[in-house]
Amino acid sequence: MGLRGKLGLIFLAVSTLAIVGLGAAVYTQAQSARLDRARSTADERVRAAAALYAEIGGPPQLGAQIDDPALPPELRSAIADGERVTLKTGSQLWAAQLVDGHTISVVYDYENSDESMDALERALLFGGIGTILGVGLVSVVAAGSLSKRIVAVSGTARQIARGELDASAVAAVGEGKDEVASLAKALDTMAASLRGQLDAERRFTADVAHDLRTPVTGLLTAAELLPPGRPSELVRDRAEVLRTLVEDLLQVARFDSGVERADLEQVELGALVSSAMGRLRTQQSISADDLRLDASEGVQVETDPRRVERIIANLVLNGLRHGGRPVEVTVTGRTVEVVDHGPGYPPELITEGPRRFRSGMAERGVGHGLGLTIAAGHAKVLGAELEFGTGPHGGAAARLELPEVPTDD
Amino acid sequence: MPDEQSTARILMVEDDAVIREATQLSLRRHGYDVVTADDGLEAVEAFDKHHPDAVLLDIMLPGLDGISVCRRIRETSTVPVVMVSARGDAVDVVLGLEAGADDYVTKPFDTQVLVARLRAVLRRATARGADGGYAMPHKPTESFGDLELDREALEVRRGGELVRLTPTELKLLLEFANNPGVVLSRSTLLQRVWDYEWGGDGRLVDVHLQRLRTKIGADRIETVRGFGYKLKA
Repeated sequence: MGLRGKLGLIFLAVSTLAIVGLGAAVYTQAQSARLDRARSTADERVRAAAALYAEIGGPPQLGAQIDDPALPPELRSAIADGERVTLKTGSQLWAAQLVDGHTISVVYDYENSDESMDALERALLFGGIGTILGVGLVSVVAAGSLSKRIVAVSGTARQIARGELDASAVAAVGEGKDEVASLAKALDTMAASLRGQLDAERRFTADVAHDLRTPVTGLLTAAELLPPGRPSELVRDRAEVLRTLVEDLLQVARFDSGVERADLEQVELGALVSSAMGRLRTQQSISADDLRLDASEGVQVETDPRRVERIIANLVLNGLRHGGRPVEVTVTGRTVEVVDHGPGYPPELITEGPRRFRSGMAERGVGHGLGLTIAAGHAKVLGAELEFGTGPHGGAAARLELPEVPTDD
Repeated sequence: MPDEQSTARILMVEDDAVIREATQLSLRRHGYDVVTADDGLEAVEAFDKHHPDAVLLDIMLPGLDGISVCRRIRETSTVPVVMVSARGDAVDVVLGLEAGADDYVTKPFDTQVLVARLRAVLRRATARGADGGYAMPHKPTESFGDLELDREALEVRRGGELVRLTPTELKLLLEFANNPGVVLSRSTLLQRVWDYEWGGDGRLVDVHLQRLRTKIGADRIETVRGFGYKLKA
């Protein structure tokens, strides 16, 4: 049962109890007031009859009886000291007084209810039911608006979990002073702090990349000037690795700043991937056995060919470096699949996607070059889906699906 | 390894001393005559004094920045300018190209890449005098609307008035003139005009076309969305 139902039931139960209790009290009070009035009437009558009997004797006046044999025994014993006493027994109301050893008494029929009591009963019953219904309705509405606010807060929390850190719970529930509003405020504060951390991480990436750029350029250019020989080769090789790393960091920083735009062109996906793989084989000296390609079933797509090439190249290089050979690339329609024969992607990469600088990810994803993070960044710019999963042989399998309609600038 | 541009003089503007010295040495090894400047104002002075054949210009400079230097150079000269992008940000690159740069490299650059870019812009520039594949044998002058193209003098006139084009703009126009009515993709143009074997930045084409259009008339070259550009006859 939802919060709305629970709150509604609680309100209903509490109001029913209150109304039944109140009704019972009112009814009892009315009943006893009526009895008091009847008692004082009977008492007055017996007082008058007793006074007349004491003065003039003879049979009692005013409908009173003398030594009524039907007089209840407890009344008889109660009047012994000359007091007037009234007593209600069953449906009769007695009043009696002792005069010169004789009991003067009157008796009335006393019904527990009469018309006025019936009317009161009806009024209490209908009024009570009406009030309970009213309270029920109001409580359902009130609980509904409360639960709607809570649902809105949880909706915002889900948005934040999806990475929409600009979502505001306060905007969703409105300003207020209740607990829901304070929950919303707390959630917004949490999102802002996450945003701050993410911004700091992004700034760090960008700063590191920008600060490294100038010294690395100097190092690269100077390394070119070294005399030929093995030591120079080693320095140049490492300088080259450093350059790639800085370029990758800069690329990630550009994705973060959101300045990247797709440069769209009409291309045949199969042809694009095969020429890209041809270049990759040459550049990286990869044998045809290690990199297998089936690009026969591609279709015409409108996309940014340089980005597609970069994505596929990064996936292939990741497979060659961290997975197992051979790496198979298959083009089907507007989809490109890259599958290797290694141990597969780590589970957190499959569930959460690639993240920069993630600890425990040295095997994959980070390594040299932030390759998968960059592949995911390019895919996002293209509006393409890039999914990481497990292939038929248990190896890593990545699947790039280009959109029907590319995202436009 | 000296090549056909062995005597070309390059003005290199760079504020980082190590990059300046190392690049200078490296370019000298490739046979170029290199003069250097380490800030914007000095760059403008050196340009007037040394009359370089090409300028290698860092965008981030103390004082007068690279983009302003490029604009100053373009006021008087069509000498090829290769920007060295300090940040590689879209804005930087586009501003540099709009200021009149012919091409750009991004730090950290590879000397091989830098030399290839320099060689390509110098080839475009020196092709003005030599044949360079520019002159088509059949017709010395062609007209496209109010545009007149003299392939021998390598002059372009619009409504009879001489239009001053940089070597890159001229090469771009000639590429279209050689294929009138044919759609040329960005990759094709990057390959034929800028000598990129693969890759290259599509914005090079876009920004140069924008500049070319302001000089020869906005409608002369049409955009074919998703495919590229074509010259209207």
